[in-house]
Amino acid sequence: MRLKIILTLSAVAGLILTWNLSRIFLQVPDEANQGAIFRIIYFHVPAAITSFVGFYLAMFSAIGYLVTKDLRFDSVAASVNEVSLAFASITLCTGSIWGRIIWGIWWTWDPRLTSFFVCWLIYVGYFMLRRAIDDPTARARLSAVLSIFACVDIVLVWKSIEWFRTQHPGPVLEIRGGGGMAPGMEAPLCWNFLALLMLATALILIRTRQESTKLEIDALRRHANAF
Amino acid sequence: MSPQNYTFMFYGFAVAWLIVIGYVISIAVREKKLRQELDRVKKMVEEGEGTRR
Amino acid sequence: MRFLRQKFLGQTLAIAAKDLRSEIRGKEAVNASVSFALVILLLFSFAFDLEPEQIRDIAGGLLWLVFAFAGTLILNRSFARELVNDCLDALLASPVSGAQLFFGKCLANYVLIIIVECISLPVFAIFYNVRVPQRMALLFLVMLLGTWGITVIGTLFSAMTVNLRLRELMLPTLIYPMLIPALVGAIELSRVLINGGPLAENMIWFRILVAFNVIFTILSLALVEIVLVG
Repeated sequence: MRLKIILTLSAVAGLILTWNLSRIFLQVPDEANQGAIFRIIYFHVPAAITSFVGFYLAMFSAIGYLVTKDLRFDSVAASVNEVSLAFASITLCTGSIWGRIIWGIWWTWDPRLTSFFVCWLIYVGYFMLRRAIDDPTARARLSAVLSIFACVDIVLVWKSIEWFRTQHPGPVLEIRGGGGMAPGMEAPLCWNFLALLMLATALILIRTRQESTKLEIDALRRHANAF
Repeated sequence: MSPQNYTFMFYGFAVAWLIVIGYVISIAVREKKLRQELDRVKKMVEEGEGTRR
Repeated sequence: MRFLRQKFLGQTLAIAAKDLRSEIRGKEAVNASVSFALVILLLFSFAFDLEPEQIRDIAGGLLWLVFAFAGTLILNRSFARELVNDCLDALLASPVSGAQLFFGKCLANYVLIIIVECISLPVFAIFYNVRVPQRMALLFLVMLLGTWGITVIGTLFSAMTVNLRLRELMLPTLIYPMLIPALVGAIELSRVLINGGPLAENMIWFRILVAFNVIFTILSLALVEIVLVG
């Protein structure tokens, strides 16, 4: 049953992405100021929102573990954080390439990119912490606390970097090229967002199953060593 | 628009897809390793129970 | 109510006094930290070759980089020193609650890091010809606020990483991204105070510092029991 859900989600996501891709390349016109590179937004923005949503969902799952002490919550939290980290990497790379065209440089300390980079670093630290702890209960407990701290901190990081950049102005990645987006341009964005969410969900389901398998292996190993 | 613009747009999409595909491949590799580990540990448990009897 | 508060404070201060006394007798962490601060100041002189006006512009940033790096040495030792002879287990088994243990260690670390900063600041002013500003009191207030942010997060993460093999590597990697709001606020305020700029426009940074300190002190006190015991 679960495998069917995963396959259906992936297939539908794949279909939407392919159909959307043809729309993005063929039907949506070039944006006036930025040209063709503008289309990167169709991956950049949905990936960013998906990863942020993921990090906060993982925090709630982590709180769920702390309350119930059920390791399945920890499996879900770790899986969601991992998939969100992958999507955050996509956001950073596509943002960097976008900046390469707009300003000719590979990286710029634009407030959104900088905050995202900090977020990425925090969650890389999260996974480093998880790898360094062998005991599953301690790992679940400590990474749950780190997850809560990270999500509270991200808000402060975002705001402080934004204010820093208003005082030391630098380049800013414009999502909307001057004003709002033409109606023809917004629909593919929402479709891509839906597709990425479905893809993320499928990946999370697969990863959660892997984490549960790992717990099963640990339990079996303890059982085997008990003789 | 300039051809460089289109080139970088394709780089951008390529990078996004590469990251997704790379991640899926890493998940698949981990799945295989987990399967092997699970089989090995199950066999260990069965052997242990066999010697006990 | 007052009795409970006194009991909480009494035991917290006892923990803080224990750590401070042990440090004053040994002087290991403060010495290492001050030496490290001096080394960083030396390395900066090779990294940057700037005019005095430019130095004043980046002075705030340099100063807080020195404070953050040197402070990590002290924070690392905070819970690590209790691993010898199972002292940490003894402390956790004692009637002292996790929050009291944490807060006591926070206070001790805070005092030690402030000492290191008070030594580093004049050295920095001498090395880089940065005149001690008129608003010295405000600069000291910024140091107090910023250092509390570093201490709270650093002490909690020190508790988190105490049992890990790569403790010294993990602590900086984990805390520096989390400290960015506090560091940016402290850097901006220091820059304004050293350069003699208008403080009224920069009150947002005071608010960020205070908000950071309040939020993370409460969060740490709430979660430290889970980190230490489970």
